[in-house]
Amino acid sequence: MSIHIINQWFERRAKAMIRFRWLIIFLFAVVVSTSMLGLKSLRVESSWDGYFLEDDPMLIKTDEFKEIFGNDNFVAVLTECDNSFSKENLELIRELSNELLDSISYAEKITSLTDIEFMTGTSDGMQIEQIVPDVIPSDRASLNAIKDKAFSKPNIAKRLISTDGKLTWIILKLRTFPEDTVWRKKSALSPEYITGLETDRIVGKAKYSALNPRATGMPYITYKKQVYFGKEAGRVMSLAFILAIFVLIFATKSLRGVTVPLITSISSIVIIYGLLGHIGYPIDSGMMSIPILLSFAIAIAYNIHLFSFFRKEMIQHGKRTKAVIAAVKEMGWPLLFSALTTMTALLTFLVIPMKPLRFAGIATASCVLFTFLIVILLMPALLSFGRDKKPKKKITERGGRWIDLQMEKLGNWVLGRPRSILMISEVIAIFLLVGISKVQPAFDIEKTMGRKIEYVDNLLDVCETSLGSIYSYDLLIEFPENGLAKHPKNLKKLDKLTQYVETFELTKRTSSVLDIVKDLNQTLNENNQSYYGVPDNANQIAQMLLLYENAGGTESEYWIDYDYKRLRLMIEMSTFNSGEAEKELKDLEAKARELYPKAHITTVGSIPQFTSMMQYVVRGQIQSFFIALAIIAILLMIVFGSVRIGFIGLIPNIAPALAVGGTMGWLDIPLDMMTATIIPMILGLAVDDTIHFINHGHLEFNRQRNYRRAILRSFRTVGVALVLSTLVISANFIVYSTSSALQFVNLGILAIIGIVSALFADLFITPLLFRKLRIFGEEINYQPSKKQQK
Amino acid sequence: MIHFKYYIVVLLSMFFLSKLDAQDISGRTIMQQVKDRPDGNTRYSEMTMKLINKRGRERVRKVKSYSMDIGVDKKTIMFFDYPGDVKGTGFLTWDYDQIGKDDDKWLYLPAMKKTRRISGASAKKDYFMGTDFTYDDMGSRNVDEDEHKLLREETIDGHNCWVVESTSKDSRDIYSKKISWIRKDCLVAVKVEYYDKLDKLHRKLILSEINKINGFWMAQKLHMENVQTMHQTTLLIEHPKFNIDLAENSLTVAKLEKGTI
Repeated sequence: MSIHIINQWFERRAKAMIRFRWLIIFLFAVVVSTSMLGLKSLRVESSWDGYFLEDDPMLIKTDEFKEIFGNDNFVAVLTECDNSFSKENLELIRELSNELLDSISYAEKITSLTDIEFMTGTSDGMQIEQIVPDVIPSDRASLNAIKDKAFSKPNIAKRLISTDGKLTWIILKLRTFPEDTVWRKKSALSPEYITGLETDRIVGKAKYSALNPRATGMPYITYKKQVYFGKEAGRVMSLAFILAIFVLIFATKSLRGVTVPLITSISSIVIIYGLLGHIGYPIDSGMMSIPILLSFAIAIAYNIHLFSFFRKEMIQHGKRTKAVIAAVKEMGWPLLFSALTTMTALLTFLVIPMKPLRFAGIATASCVLFTFLIVILLMPALLSFGRDKKPKKKITERGGRWIDLQMEKLGNWVLGRPRSILMISEVIAIFLLVGISKVQPAFDIEKTMGRKIEYVDNLLDVCETSLGSIYSYDLLIEFPENGLAKHPKNLKKLDKLTQYVETFELTKRTSSVLDIVKDLNQTLNENNQSYYGVPDNANQIAQMLLLYENAGGTESEYWIDYDYKRLRLMIEMSTFNSGEAEKELKDLEAKARELYPKAHITTVGSIPQFTSMMQYVVRGQIQSFFIALAIIAILLMIVFGSVRIGFIGLIPNIAPALAVGGTMGWLDIPLDMMTATIIPMILGLAVDDTIHFINHGHLEFNRQRNYRRAILRSFRTVGVALVLSTLVISANFIVYSTSSALQFVNLGILAIIGIVSALFADLFITPLLFRKLRIFGEEINYQPSKKQQK
Repeated sequence: MIHFKYYIVVLLSMFFLSKLDAQDISGRTIMQQVKDRPDGNTRYSEMTMKLINKRGRERVRKVKSYSMDIGVDKKTIMFFDYPGDVKGTGFLTWDYDQIGKDDDKWLYLPAMKKTRRISGASAKKDYFMGTDFTYDDMGSRNVDEDEHKLLREETIDGHNCWVVESTSKDSRDIYSKKISWIRKDCLVAVKVEYYDKLDKLHRKLILSEINKINGFWMAQKLHMENVQTMHQTTLLIEHPKFNIDLAENSLTVAKLEKGTI
């Protein structure tokens, strides 16, 4: 395909655009206002479950688990005071427990110091009672008796109260949340969000301040995350917006040069989010800013390219219409091609089976499409208004602006040092490759969000106390027949498994039906500590469980299913370390399979979810990178009509991927949902520069048949636009480093490193590869006329 | 003439009496009448309890039950027949009418050969044997533990019923109020709705197979559904017998351990 023919096609379109400019502006206004209506119905999600696709095995497993044992989500509140066993504090703990149970819409059951099934054995029987009596005494002796009772069963005490009596744990079990289709009919807020909101409201009440209550649990974290990101993304984006205005003023020194990119990016976002709102596609709160960011960057870059060319033409001849047509003619094709390659790179996110990443892929690719359409249709229409100007002869005679000439000098400098530049590049590449090998995936809140965020810090503080925990997982053992789960043989194996899991570095606490069975056995045997174990007689266990039910015990339902076919072992973790967690999970599953060869073993909960996510993201990241690279190579090959150019064009595009990956490894930035999006995104952005450079180089080479001159000319013509667009995009991203969220800071740093390294590769490596590999064919030794040189 | 006068007096008195019946009978009176409905001094039945969770899974238990009234109090002994692993397990309750007095309960576990007395302040409000019935629902709750109000009269399945609202006086109770539909003809409830503290429907009881056996009215099928947890319980009462020959000392811990009366 000849570039000449394509350019002519764009030229004809440009003329038509100027003719129908009012129609274009009118249609644009209609599309944007229609989309705005869709923004109202935009759905934002924050739950972990929302990360998985509907048919994901992990989600199916989790749903099955919830159906049997109820909601695996819970809300927990840690109270902290000097002495929990004072009349006032016990009353407050009771009041808080009651309020949580009564006021939280999805509350099912509360367990706290003032609300617990507490069995005590006596010589002739057993007593089920509360640790704290209905009327709380005020005298020291009675309060001490309550304290002694609380600590009389170490296995219960370790879940409820710290050894110094300062911390207590209130755990609220939740009813199973209704299906999406059910709650959406009644409310725009998800049950998880509502639960978090209600918890936050209760623990924030002044009357509980003496207890310093701090909440945790997934619904609460989800709520806090959504609130935080809502505020923070807004703050960061407005700051980016303001900065972009300043940089655009500096770069374009023109009112249209500033307003058009802003109109472009805002309207493309409005169109995309409006469209998503109209079709009811949910978006993840954490990923919401990615398309906005990208459309900002792309809108600015595309507009700068078009605007720079337009301005150059205006300087030369001053005729507005002619300049607009020339800009569309020459820049239309590289912009379209850049948009295509960027979209391809972004659409590769679809290979990752995770909703937020698929959302990012679809939304960002659509943003690029709409940004391109707006830039190529609206910008020329808007630029065509106004008077012609006088050409600036001096600049034309000099062969360009001062800055253009400086770029040419840089080109000269580069062409003079091929060996040292390539050598340094190789050393840097090796250094970065080593870094890439160190990259670790992580999904835990500390590494991805960071402790600078108040709620994260609070959560982690809670987690680090002797009682608290954030992360947990469940092992589910499913036997082939009903009734086997309560068999002594199997319960004893569960005991063994529990002892095994308690040796793990990350295990903080375990819970299972064993806590109840052992406690019952001890209680029924005159509270004799030596009976704290699983009885040998199957009938005894059945009868004990009947007694337990009869006495009003309901806790066992959370740990053993209705058919006595499934056992559940919950493991709470003290801290999170993705590598170690993955290993422990595998070890536990292996041990369980060894102990129960005939049973079906599965793990569910936030940790297995994290682990699956990590595997998906790591695998997906690699796949999406290579697919993007392959498609871009194919596109380059088709467009430039040469397999060689296709491959060579890829080399500068690998640079930003290397730079981003290497930096992540060396700076210990984890691979998470946010950083996973950077490499394909940067690949999409970086390829623009290469396309502009190759395209221009190709045009110039066809004119001059000389590499040196073609390269220098390209430096002069597109160099400034490349530097400017990099500058503006970097300025846009640098704002993210002011955030308290580590995710945003990492995104800012990595995006800038990626974009700048792409520029460096295009300015320092691409020209050398051009010349060395003679990608456009052989040179013809002829001298162009002076006019051509200019 | 005398006859005529006589008829007028009879008609007028019938008219006033019927008015009196509809207007002046209080909710409390109705509930007291329900409680006092004759059911013999002693009774026996075989009961099948079917527990169904929200996934539709079932647990079935069968018991033989003997009970006896001692004044206003009631003693009951139950022996488990099914499933096999709990066969022989016995359960004895002494249910006191006096408000505030906790029931006495003993359970005999044959596998451990031990009887255990179960006590606890909250036991009365607890669910019975993992069913959706509380001990209160099963036993005889003192009428004065609730405030009663006759709401209206309604016809259900062709039977005239009083609709009585009973509001609990104790805030710790599992329900805040219940609404009962009581058949006027036999003083047996056909439907009861229990509301939670937030005034949301919590449980719904449907009584059916209401028969007169040996001169005593009773419902032989009770279906309770917890509409919030979706858990259900069906109680089927078979082979009921009334005023059986039962000595007062039959309902003791010794009999419990023996496994039969």
